[in-house]
Amino acid sequence: MSVKIGLEIHVQLNTKTKLFCRCPTKETEAPNEHTCPVCLGFPGSKPMLNKKAVEYAIMVARALNCKVNRTFIFSRKNYFYPDLPKNFQITQYEFPLAVDGFVDVNGKRIRIKRVHLEEDPGRLIHVGGDITTANYVLVDYNRSGIPLVEIVTEPDFESGKEAREFLQELSTMLEYIGVFDKEREGSMRVDANVSVEGGERVEIKNISGFADVEKALNYEILRQRMILKGGGKVGRETRHFDEKTKVTHVLRRKEFEEDYGYIPEPDLVVYSLDEAELKEIFARLPELPSQRVRRIVSRYSIPENLARVIVYKEKALADFFEECCKYFEDYVEIAKWVATDLLKCLNWHGISVKETKITPQGFVEMLKMIKNGEITARLGKEIIKQYVSTGKHPRKILEEMGIERIEESKLREICEEVLRENEKAANDYKNGRKEALQFLIGIVLKKTKGSADPKSAAKVLREMLES
Amino acid sequence: MEEKIEYWKIDESLLSHVTKVARLALSEEEIEKFTKELNEVLESFKKIDEANVDELQPMVHAVEVKNAWREDEEEKFQWEPFANTEHKEERYFKGPRIV
Amino acid sequence: MQNMELASYIEEAINGEVDVESLVERVEREVKEIQEGYECFITLANDIRQQVKNLEKTRKGKLFGVFVSVKDNICTKGLRTTAGSKILENYVPPFDATCVEKVKKEGGIIVGKTAMDEFGFGTFCVNTPFSIPKNPFDKSRSCGGSSGGAGCISRVANFPHVAIAESTGGSISCPACFCGVVGLTPTYGRVSRWGLIDYANSLDKIGCMGSCVKDVALLLEVIAGYDERDSTSLKTPVENYLHALKEVDEDSKIVERMRVGVPKEYFAEGVDEKISSKVWDAIKILESEGIPYEEISLPTTHYALPAYYIIAMAEASTNLAKYCGMRYGLHLRLEGNYDEYFSKVRAQGFGEEAKRRILLGTFARMAGYREAYYLKACKVRRKLVNEFKQAFSKFDALLAPTMPILPPKFEEIEKLTPAQAYAMDILTVAPNLAGVPMVSVPCGLVNGLPVGLHILGDHLQEKKILQLAYFFERVRKEKV
Repeated sequence: MSVKIGLEIHVQLNTKTKLFCRCPTKETEAPNEHTCPVCLGFPGSKPMLNKKAVEYAIMVARALNCKVNRTFIFSRKNYFYPDLPKNFQITQYEFPLAVDGFVDVNGKRIRIKRVHLEEDPGRLIHVGGDITTANYVLVDYNRSGIPLVEIVTEPDFESGKEAREFLQELSTMLEYIGVFDKEREGSMRVDANVSVEGGERVEIKNISGFADVEKALNYEILRQRMILKGGGKVGRETRHFDEKTKVTHVLRRKEFEEDYGYIPEPDLVVYSLDEAELKEIFARLPELPSQRVRRIVSRYSIPENLARVIVYKEKALADFFEECCKYFEDYVEIAKWVATDLLKCLNWHGISVKETKITPQGFVEMLKMIKNGEITARLGKEIIKQYVSTGKHPRKILEEMGIERIEESKLREICEEVLRENEKAANDYKNGRKEALQFLIGIVLKKTKGSADPKSAAKVLREMLES
Repeated sequence: MEEKIEYWKIDESLLSHVTKVARLALSEEEIEKFTKELNEVLESFKKIDEANVDELQPMVHAVEVKNAWREDEEEKFQWEPFANTEHKEERYFKGPRIV
Repeated sequence: MQNMELASYIEEAINGEVDVESLVERVEREVKEIQEGYECFITLANDIRQQVKNLEKTRKGKLFGVFVSVKDNICTKGLRTTAGSKILENYVPPFDATCVEKVKKEGGIIVGKTAMDEFGFGTFCVNTPFSIPKNPFDKSRSCGGSSGGAGCISRVANFPHVAIAESTGGSISCPACFCGVVGLTPTYGRVSRWGLIDYANSLDKIGCMGSCVKDVALLLEVIAGYDERDSTSLKTPVENYLHALKEVDEDSKIVERMRVGVPKEYFAEGVDEKISSKVWDAIKILESEGIPYEEISLPTTHYALPAYYIIAMAEASTNLAKYCGMRYGLHLRLEGNYDEYFSKVRAQGFGEEAKRRILLGTFARMAGYREAYYLKACKVRRKLVNEFKQAFSKFDALLAPTMPILPPKFEEIEKLTPAQAYAMDILTVAPNLAGVPMVSVPCGLVNGLPVGLHILGDHLQEKKILQLAYFFERVRKEKV
């Protein structure tokens, strides 16, 4: 049975202020701290459009290859809900910002139906249970009025995996454009429409996080398939994804479907940009991730898989990589270290490279030390760890470790010592148990505090043992 | 087959539906009374169909303004948002449950 | 004091010839008496003395020492604002409307909030759980609506006063007409709506009422102007209206050069013959003073009433959705789910007329009906505006009666069905829908009750219509 999935993605734009008022959008612990009569819908308040939000939304639309409408208006979408201060949402219905775009993900083209601007509602907390069992709700309107870009796709996805991959591509793209903070909770929320051949369309509302999107879709496809296989019907309905149990269930609340009764927003006006203004905004679009991968591969001649890892982790890491390339010519080496050890450290700490004190020069210095044999690769890994957590320059770290370059004669001395102290292992080796060598190398490294190169130690030990 | 909509009139069941959309709980007497009154009003409005305006674009504002927008600059509004309500709990607004 | 124009009073107040503080006791007493006699206020300010004391520090302002009443759908910080509705019975706004800010800055003293139909829904100021103001000419009759309280106080105040009012479909003109005072409804967007509790956003206009044209012009100068908080606010610079009236004093030829149109649809059946006759008298007086008129036809007027009401109710139904017993306004104990709770609060808090308009307005926007009702009405609006624009390309002003009936008795109003009540707006809805400025001036009495002459102008032609109104007022005074 074929599957059709369409997504409606809501992305919070990281403008400084809200869409229709000057309240700050930055996160705060204090509920209802960033509010005013406008975003709380007090009588007599009126909206005033944030121009930057329009510019950001146009950049997004352009990155998604949409046709941007030069003239647009806003509309009132009328429904009642405790998180909606005016019991209507200012959005775009007729005459949205942009239409008819596409994104290519892993060789498949996903069509974008429309991109428009709207205001975020507040945040609900269900007290005494979940959405179906709570006694009452608490509402924090800090989020109310934050600019959202809504991206609606055609039902071009055929699996949960495709949807997830698209969302990852979209998320990185938005981060690169600089209009989106993917670390912020709730900055990207997804509604999905799923239909399995033979059944009707089911809407799953408000899923946060790509992993959950894939899970929700997989669950839903399975659920629908089973119903249809069993001879049942899948009717049009709205379902809610439970983050904890990872299943979808119906939110049965009313006997009637909300009638949004759209009217053009009469407190706002007509907005129109001329060709020159549009061109200027388009020109602000920076290099997108897929473009950057291609360029890095070609410019630095590094393998595509490494380039992808670096580019898609975060823009800052790709910037870091390219900056390093200014100071060291072994680009492949830089790429390897950035994409593996450095990345591992950052992930372990859960931070961005921007949040560390490491510098491209410092990082490259360490790579140079490895290249000219001053330190071993193994030691390098150790130094990276400390560099990331403390920010101290690699040379300083090396000094503090008290490690000096091991001279050949000193190495021979230590190897002799090790062989003397570990007769049994030495004999094991001589009797044919070659793995005993690893043990002995280990002891040499311990004694030299890792500053000996394992290969050299192996060579010397073997020489001594076999003589 | 889709039901053809008849304009300029409303019956009790349709009005009942509207009260739900508008979140306005009416008594049976009110529904009866309003149905009668609104039908009279709709009847009096019917003549607008003769206005011959189909070719025109709808007009939202009689005086048209373009591009009223502002810079992305913060301004903190000094106020006590909870001053006009008793439904609050620890700096949150309190509201009725969803289901 | 009663007949002194505000301008002279202000001058004397600033230079100290009149001590404003010494007036306070008398004004407070008078306001109480007026309230007892006519019930034109919903809330009286309790800090008049303090406001006057604060004036002493500035010694300047275009409205220095003038007592200003404010229609109760305009927010006054710290002073209860109800919009005439039980659902906002205890609401205290956290900010001043822009027009109130401006009045205070120019030395005006806020004296109280005037009575109105709930949210502006009404033509007779009877649709309200608060006071119903009584007509100063006959207390058994209506003051008109929805700015009934403003019309009333403008007529009876015996102290320096001017009123801020508001019109959506005629709510300044009607009470000005019924109370025998001057009422100016500016061009849509001329005065900022920041702080105005919405009835219909594309139709609401804040305006002025007073005992004479000059006072109204003065207030307009103060409250008009661009406001960055209101997206629909116009950037066109505000003219010096008072100066424009002085020009008429110096050279009445300014007005005599004006061409005036008389639309026949405004004298059709439905308009009391005696009223038509009085208005024609006024037109003839102007003619005799050298202002010729020409009868014209504005056929789209015929559709203005349904178009107005459909748009107004559609917008109103969305504006009133915010009143649901959560963040402000009437609340009940939190019980049930939100559908149940909201429905209960709204059923209790809104009056009958508000409910009717919410229902019709919601209906007009619903899927399947939206095109036939709401969008069609918006198309009629465009046709109407085009028609007015065409007329104003030929004429400086259009003249008509303000209201089709004399101020009715309260018992007569009770007998009206909603459809019949709406029909009373036939003469005011068209210019309001078109967003053109208009001024209603008294033009005589019929059976001891006032009749109003309505002067309509093109967008942003407040200066012209005020000049013509002032000229007419002067000519009338001379004839009496």
